Amino acid sequence: MTTHDPLAAWRSNPFFVLEVPTDATPTEVERAGQRLLALLALGSAGAGTYETPLGPATRDADRVRQALAALRDPQQRVLHELWANVAPADGPASGHSNAGPWEEAGHALGWSALWAR
Amino acid sequence: MTTRPLYVGIDLGTTNSTVAVFDGEEVTLIRNNQGSVLTPSVVRIDARGNVIVGARARRFLDSDPANTRSEFKRLMGTTHALDFPASSTSRRPEELSAEVLKSLRQDVADQLGITPECAVVSVPALFELHQTAGASNAAHRAGFERVELIQEPVASAIAAGWSQSGSNGPWLVYDLGGGTFDVSLLETREGLLRVVGHDGDNFLGGRDFDRALMDVALAKLAADGIVIDRANSRHAQALRRLQVAAEDAKIELTRATQAPLFVAGLDVGGQVMDVDLTVTRSEYEAAIGPLIDRSLAICARLLAANGLGDGALERVVLVGGPTVTPLLRGRVRAVLGADFGEGLDPMTLVAQGAALFAGTVALDGRPVAKAPPSTGPKVWLQFPAMTSDLTPFVVGKLLEQTNTIKQVRIARSDGEWQSDPTPCEADGTFAVMVRLLPRQNSSFQVQGLDGSDSAVPLQPASFAITHGITLGDPPLSRSVGVALANNRVQVYFNRGSPLPIRRTFVLHTVETVHPGSEDHVLKVPIVQGEFAWAHLCRLVGTLEIPSTALTAPLPVGSEVELMLELDRGGQLRAQARIAGIDQIFDRVALLMTPQVSLETLADAQVKLRTRAADLSRAAFLDHSGKTAARLSAAMPRLDEVERNIVAARGGDLDAGEQARRALTDFDALLAEIEAEQAWPELGRKIEETFAMAVSWVAGYGNEAERSTLNNTYQACKRAFVARDSDEVERQLAVIQRLGEAAYLRHPAAWEWEFERCAARVGESTDLRRATELVAKGRDAVRQRDGETIERIVRELWGLAPVDHDEQKLGHGSGLRMR
Repeated sequence: MTTHDPLAAWRSNPFFVLEVPTDATPTEVERAGQRLLALLALGSAGAGTYETPLGPATRDADRVRQALAALRDPQQRVLHELWANVAPADGPASGHSNAGPWEEAGHALGWSALWAR
Repeated sequence: MTTRPLYVGIDLGTTNSTVAVFDGEEVTLIRNNQGSVLTPSVVRIDARGNVIVGARARRFLDSDPANTRSEFKRLMGTTHALDFPASSTSRRPEELSAEVLKSLRQDVADQLGITPECAVVSVPALFELHQTAGASNAAHRAGFERVELIQEPVASAIAAGWSQSGSNGPWLVYDLGGGTFDVSLLETREGLLRVVGHDGDNFLGGRDFDRALMDVALAKLAADGIVIDRANSRHAQALRRLQVAAEDAKIELTRATQAPLFVAGLDVGGQVMDVDLTVTRSEYEAAIGPLIDRSLAICARLLAANGLGDGALERVVLVGGPTVTPLLRGRVRAVLGADFGEGLDPMTLVAQGAALFAGTVALDGRPVAKAPPSTGPKVWLQFPAMTSDLTPFVVGKLLEQTNTIKQVRIARSDGEWQSDPTPCEADGTFAVMVRLLPRQNSSFQVQGLDGSDSAVPLQPASFAITHGITLGDPPLSRSVGVALANNRVQVYFNRGSPLPIRRTFVLHTVETVHPGSEDHVLKVPIVQGEFAWAHLCRLVGTLEIPSTALTAPLPVGSEVELMLELDRGGQLRAQARIAGIDQIFDRVALLMTPQVSLETLADAQVKLRTRAADLSRAAFLDHSGKTAARLSAAMPRLDEVERNIVAARGGDLDAGEQARRALTDFDALLAEIEAEQAWPELGRKIEETFAMAVSWVAGYGNEAERSTLNNTYQACKRAFVARDSDEVERQLAVIQRLGEAAYLRHPAAWEWEFERCAARVGESTDLRRATELVAKGRDAVRQRDGETIERIVRELWGLAPVDHDEQKLGHGSGLRMR
């Protein structure tokens, strides 16, 4: 269901979830995922949240595994690289994970253009 | 061996089973007491109740087929019981599989002196949930305390990837076993092995090659006036003996151009005779050609689904006994256009991969040793037991609050590497990047450091990591969902989702269930398949909540939080939480395919034939040659179903299962064609739904909704042009929801809805409650109490009647979405 909400999908971008740059090698992606899964298994306090340009978001082991699976697929990875590199110049102030809908977000993210593909 | 880990992998095959062990560096195949690494999956129970497994049992397939059973893997997950008349007993397929697993476990104990407590057991990738559960139960029954399952093609891929590193392109595992066919598309990149996708047929295997050859023999006998009838139960034993002879002839035909097929003293319905025939390789190849083509069509489908064209594959790995057939190898090479992986044993690759997988998940089969004397604070370590990364992270947490340990240090046992002191976080966690020895098992020591950098012992004090491959999460082979009372499916996991996976949805009951009332059960049917309609998907289990277990009445519309979870091997766990009465029903999935009578199957076959004929007629009238050709090509499948029903009448349980599955597939094909024929109608539905939604959204929607509606309409039209019915339905649902949301903002909308519900109060599933609500609603309307009207309408929606025909098609589901 959440995948139809472009902002939620953007917040769940695998590069944000795994906290790796878009030019990370497959090994670096795996290493980051393995580290996060281990930290989450141990109940590490900091591992449950991550930063996004729209503010902090939460992650669990399932989300980390989904992110790993997405970046293992070269086709999906290209798409996620594109989205992760979109800079929401006029985005809302960070630090509000429950901020309301940001009217211009779709436009800033190129959502309409992508939709019309 | 005791100082090294014991990772056990078992290939539980239809025809033969194999066990392999991995000690962290090398894989060893275990030999049975006959000296072979292949143990026939055959079980015999004699008149005294003695159970014999393997080659010794297989010898009796010919002389005493009634008390000797093989091929039971194909019946796993069903309620069929197989009879052993000499001992007046019967056994379910999973009990027989347990005997085979027990025998393999004993072989490990005999050869290595350790009886393993854990193992990885392989299952076909396309095994459905109930079959997977059957395999797991069998392993527990055999004495394994912990069991992990692995998909067979993933196991083959691990074994092939382990021995042939350096490949970076896509490759294919073509796995034709005794009873099942799996094909997997894989990719290796920087040591990461990823299953891109898979496909297959649970009822295509070497057994079908045997049967094809047996058909050649039966035709030759019929030409001599000897008729052996599959439908005649008095001929069942003769058929089984002929099949054993056909299997031997088949093996010989892989090397020779002709082979004898001899059976002495064959009893054909009381008439005893010697069968002495010669079958040629060309006769055999003509008989199995269509089966090979069927497997190649599945490969082509998988490649096309992943956008791969001719020549895209780097190599093909062949797995399974039937892949030694010369015709098969030639056809596979010609059609797939790739070389075969060299130096890989098709008969044992799966077991080797399963053992390696046990290593990646650290499933050590050695009995748990007594804990060493306590030395220092306990630490919980997380690390990959096997990885392709030479510098993985080891993450740990100090389990005891201690102020003395400020940092930790990890050192490799060979003394060539150690980490810098790494500080512990406030909650005691730390993460250290370690350095592995390439292609070896590296041991490490971990110790704490106090404020003055003095070492403090920790427990455990050491651990080991093997440098090898990293395994990507395997994808789910078929979508899994819950059938609803309106015959729709609430999809939980889509095909291709990485495993393990867990998801929870809130569903609502469609009728009131009172505690304690006999024979009243709330049914939650779990289905697998790619269709939006539940009856077209396979019912793989039912989670039942019996009224006798309820502590309080469950009114209609009650919320049921239903969680489904699949582990890496495809094992299902289900949990239903009923919030209103705070009760949890856990692990109640009854994963068994109910038996369907042969009369029902025959009846369904006739009905489908009539439906197909109607569709063919309509296709000719519409000048739709493509549809007519598609139907014409599919009709032989119904002929095969008819033959299988006949064979099932003669006692061939496997043929009955094949017929049941083929009928569901054929039903789905007809539904697809019907949907195509109704395509123009769907176009009109899109326009009508959009017109309705736009009229409400224009008046009561906001700018974002108007824009979304427009975008969704465009997406819907694109899907319509692309003839993607699933996508059209999905977009239509969004259009409908946008329209409804806007409509409900009209000041009088909730009153209109209330009147609509009140007019149908007599049809409610709980008449008393509905009548009460309508009376309260009338008061609220008089008092212009909008909030109460909305609340009442929402509750009345939950009491809306169920269409019992749809509910029956939806496998009797007791749930719906609100």
